[in-house]
Amino acid sequence: MRKLVIVLALTLAAAIPASAQQINMNFPELEARAEEVVDITLDAQMLRMASKFFSGRDADERAVRDMISGLHGIYVRSYEFAKEGEYDRKIAERLKAQLGPTWKPLVTVRSKKKENVNIYANMVGDRVTGLVIISAEPREFTVVNINGPIDIERLSQLEGQFGIPELSKEK
Amino acid sequence: MTAIVADAVGFSGALERAKAGDHDAFAELIERHEAMVYSLGYHFFGDRSRAEEVAQDVFLQLYRNLGTIESDSHLLYWLRQVTTRRCIDSARRTRLKAVSLEDAGELSASTKSPDPFLDRRLRQYIEDLPEMQRAVVTLRYQEDLDPSEICRIVGMPVNTVKSHLHRALQALRRKLEKLS
Amino acid sequence: MNLENDLRRVLRRESPPAGFAGRVLERIEREPARKPRAWWHAAAASVTLAAVLGGYGAYRVAEHRRGEFAKEQVLTAMRIAGEKVKYAQEEVRAIGSHD
Repeated sequence: MRKLVIVLALTLAAAIPASAQQINMNFPELEARAEEVVDITLDAQMLRMASKFFSGRDADERAVRDMISGLHGIYVRSYEFAKEGEYDRKIAERLKAQLGPTWKPLVTVRSKKKENVNIYANMVGDRVTGLVIISAEPREFTVVNINGPIDIERLSQLEGQFGIPELSKEK
Repeated sequence: MTAIVADAVGFSGALERAKAGDHDAFAELIERHEAMVYSLGYHFFGDRSRAEEVAQDVFLQLYRNLGTIESDSHLLYWLRQVTTRRCIDSARRTRLKAVSLEDAGELSASTKSPDPFLDRRLRQYIEDLPEMQRAVVTLRYQEDLDPSEICRIVGMPVNTVKSHLHRALQALRRKLEKLS
Repeated sequence: MNLENDLRRVLRRESPPAGFAGRVLERIEREPARKPRAWWHAAAASVTLAAVLGGYGAYRVAEHRRGEFAKEQVLTAMRIAGEKVKYAQEEVRAIGSHD
């Protein structure tokens, strides 16, 4: 399996607040064919509401709460298909075409059999003001758009370290 | 599937008697559901003594809350929910390290696996999953529940449960592929 | 490899060590005597609370649910994003280690 990884820039300083571009992530043709769809749309108001429900006593929840403070939106679309070849992987190009000149590619991972990942950051000077992650796997297509200042290094440390919801009282 | 259905079918006699204070009837309820409760804990922690501790706590809590249990199917749902949430809560507080393969102990005598090494590895990988993914996988494949049933137990939207399940399977597949 | 069959086999139910029910009953007997709470106590309390809170209570409950739901969405989104970023980082490191 051939794999091509291009690293154009990886380490970035903390971001300053600035409104970043929100991209159009709606693909009705994918939704129609997908077996499962994850659709998350959180604007600034929803993020502020959610923040109040993160525990200040729990280190992991505090980390997430800190990370989302100042964000203008988080948007996720993830489409899972029953079989390979159910969607055109070139759809990633349509997304990339929406990104203006301030968007810089950070990492490109290409694999014919596994996961292609493209990560773009919206840069104002050397500050990140937005992030777009495009992941294309044989049976799944995922786009994440984080609108606002985000620490990518801290984001990469989140996976696998948390995920326990506040337990609501048992009936 | 047959075993799951049998749990829910009318044994309401024991439940009503237990609610009235009959300890023998309560013992009957324990015996009926102990494997399910214990296994949820064991598959979550990979540690038999931890699993027994959680299971005992769950049944103690059941005893204190018998008055709120409305039916045998409610009991089954209650036990699954409380056990799962206790496991997650406990893991969150203590952040147990995964048991190493050397400490994993003998395979269960009832396991008839063509590849005991694979089973042991798979158990280890399940224990390495983030807590919520681990819970969802265990509920799905131990209890044969579908995401719409799991989401009620863990208190999350069904799409979130599906996402957890999908990612867990993805992670397990990746690890197993590397192994092979 | 059929992962789902392997998972069903590996996650099959097992019984606890013998005497489990007896150990639970021993713990119950060691507990201070509790009067079992009749089911209707809880029901009566709920009805009273609902009557007192009325519409405001319902609003607060709905707000709470929305907030919890939003929190779950945030966790899911950040987990997905974190996973993809981490995957990309690992691929970069893997390439670097082969150089």
